[in-house]
Amino acid sequence: MSTPVVTVHDAVVGDGTSTRSRSARRWRRARLPLALLALVVVAGILSALPEPRTSTLTLAPDNPGDLGARAAAQILGREGVDVRYVRRIADVQALAVPGSTVLVVGDYLLTDEQVDALGATEADLVLVDAGWALGVLTPALASSGEYDAAPDVRTAQCDDPDAVAAGTITASGGLLGIGPGAVVCFPAPGTTTDQGGSYAVVESDGRRVVAVSDMAPFTNEHLAEQGNAALVLRALGRHERLVWYIPSLDDVGAGGGTEPAPGELLPPVVTILALQLLLVVVVTALWRGRRLGRLVTERLPVVVRAGETTRGRGRLYRRGRSYGHAAAALRAGTAARSAGRLGLPRSAAAPLVVDAISRATGRRAADVEALLYGPPPTDDRGLAQLARDLDHLESEVHRP
Amino acid sequence: MAVTWRAVVLSALGLPVVLLVPAGGTVLLWTLLVVVACVVDVALAASPRQVAIRREVPASVRLTEPATSTLTLTNRSTRRLRALVRDAWPPSTGAQSDRHRVDVRPGDGARVRTVLVPTRRGDAHADRVTIRALGPLGLAGRQASLTVPGRLRVLPEFASRRHLPSRLARLRELDGRASVQVRGPGTEFDSLREYVIGDDVRAIDWRATARRSDVVVRTWRPERDRRVLIVLDSGRTSAVRVLDAPRLDASIEAALLLAALATKAGDRVELLVFDRRVRGRVASATGARVMAAFADTLALVEPELVETDWPGVVAQVRQRLSQRALVVLLTALDPSAVEQGLLGVAAQLTDRHQVVLASVSDPEVDALRTARTGAAAVFDAAAAERVGLERAAVAVRLRQRGAEVVDALPDDLAPRLADTYIALKAAGRL
Repeated sequence: MSTPVVTVHDAVVGDGTSTRSRSARRWRRARLPLALLALVVVAGILSALPEPRTSTLTLAPDNPGDLGARAAAQILGREGVDVRYVRRIADVQALAVPGSTVLVVGDYLLTDEQVDALGATEADLVLVDAGWALGVLTPALASSGEYDAAPDVRTAQCDDPDAVAAGTITASGGLLGIGPGAVVCFPAPGTTTDQGGSYAVVESDGRRVVAVSDMAPFTNEHLAEQGNAALVLRALGRHERLVWYIPSLDDVGAGGGTEPAPGELLPPVVTILALQLLLVVVVTALWRGRRLGRLVTERLPVVVRAGETTRGRGRLYRRGRSYGHAAAALRAGTAARSAGRLGLPRSAAAPLVVDAISRATGRRAADVEALLYGPPPTDDRGLAQLARDLDHLESEVHRP
Repeated sequence: MAVTWRAVVLSALGLPVVLLVPAGGTVLLWTLLVVVACVVDVALAASPRQVAIRREVPASVRLTEPATSTLTLTNRSTRRLRALVRDAWPPSTGAQSDRHRVDVRPGDGARVRTVLVPTRRGDAHADRVTIRALGPLGLAGRQASLTVPGRLRVLPEFASRRHLPSRLARLRELDGRASVQVRGPGTEFDSLREYVIGDDVRAIDWRATARRSDVVVRTWRPERDRRVLIVLDSGRTSAVRVLDAPRLDASIEAALLLAALATKAGDRVELLVFDRRVRGRVASATGARVMAAFADTLALVEPELVETDWPGVVAQVRQRLSQRALVVLLTALDPSAVEQGLLGVAAQLTDRHQVVLASVSDPEVDALRTARTGAAAVFDAAAAERVGLERAAVAVRLRQRGAEVVDALPDDLAPRLADTYIALKAAGRL
């Protein structure tokens, strides 16, 4: 070839855009996603704002359902009682100063250490629906073990001022006063307080322990019935501060903060270092993420291999189990090539071909004819055998 | 806007600082520092849009041979341009390294070269030129992708030209110009020359001998100035891959070798690329321009997924050729396609012209035919056998209609077609 012709194109300066046009284009492109993002953020904030958080936990002060106790908590709050809702024993220990009330809801999830910690506080206790913990916290009371399904209307029948003020309540279950100083009220209808009641008070060592056998009077559903409200509000509103403690399953600490959370084990500098590392990661992402120009695409040609159709035909033969067709093809191929090698025309008749091949190979004409024009095989093995035999025959054919 | 690894290092340098003063404010301050440093760097970088770019690229290059795309960058801004430049080309142009660092003072220029070793025939268009101009700190920079037109035509490889010398030698033997004189070939009177020992005595021209004192013989030469029309079928059968290239590529190699040979032999070669319409043609080119025109036209031929219109081919041939000529059909000897198309109209071509049909056969079918590993392979072998028989049958029917059939493996097609041409010429059948 001669010296290559080189095409020289005119010089190009810039791409016809200015800073203004580029920023306008970027703004046009970005405004819709930005508007959508803003919409989502605003909607999220609006949906999060108005409703205070609620739960569905039984007797929780933020549960507005039938089994919740938000009514009682809200009334107490309005009357000036500082209601603190806690789930961890450590928080109870921190908040339960002398001159406050601790409400303990249930004792199924309490450990021995947690009950001891409750006993160690100097605050007044209100135990609702407590069983074994009752005996640990005050030896004067015990649960009668009765758990009636339906609460019934009970009268005070004692001289505790709270009980007297309430008059009647709806409750079930029973508490027994077994020690000195125990006052038991609201026995089941037709029984006396000696046989147990729903409400019991013990004053010992300058603290007051109130036990209520049933959580029904506290619930939103039953608070307004009979004198439930009076009893509950008087029992819980005795002091300025009420610690509303509902034990939780994941709080296994005995209190005192001996087991800090995993995050607290690390030195504080780690958090700051992580933030700085985040900056490094972000800058690295920006560095690697910016491509030097767009990807260049290419129109690719069709890729169909020439052998595909032949293979497809072979599969068809196999699926159709056409041993006859396959064998005929193999035989015809061998016959045509052998005939060509022996100098016969393509149009030579079958007996002529058989005769020529048998003379060239020294095989008997009948054998050659059976091989080339015999019955078709009926299975894979027969076909493979035929193919091998034909190969042998063909390899023996030489020009005479 | 783009940042570099230096910005990463700068932000990582904040780690020891944070260890010394472990407070959230340190992180915030350091982040601010990185951002401000990057923004200042970007503000001080030269504008990539104030760079004049001129591209020089060869008009054409042969497949697998290297070409160089040269960009001349002139810095028209008042700032020093430290930049990373990417000259983007499609993947098949085989650009070795298309990224270049430049450092150009204001008003100065720089030249970057990208070596392209194309692996695919056809026109390759340059993509955008991307300039990432970095600031003096090398922390961050401005980036712009600019459209700088450029086109590189990749011509067919013409690997079959290695067969050309041997075929030309045989042509010269026919021509009577070789040192060894072979008598007979050709029917056209060429010249008179002195008898040398070895010449056939029957070639002695007695009348001329009587006029002079020496014994003079006549020499003949093959006919010259015959017309050869190469018809390249770019229909669906040409798209099929044989080994690792489309069938069309082997046909193109054969067409190029035949064109080179026939031009040297003094014949006029024309080209027609056709499927359902004319995709390319070379006519009325003579001498050295023939090969250039062929390469240029064949560079752009791509297989089309349509059935070839054979009556259309015949009409085109009739329109182009008034006298007897050699018509070479580069197509596929695909039994069903030939029976449906070419076989019906072959007679219309063969009764006026010498027709040669050249087809690429598939070595894979041969491999399938002899495979005996398992029942599936035997069925495939039977199918391959059947295909071979059908091809042979179609070839026979074409020969009965007066056409020559050349069926060869991709690498053999070009020399076999050339041999056929020489044989026809020797036999005076052109």
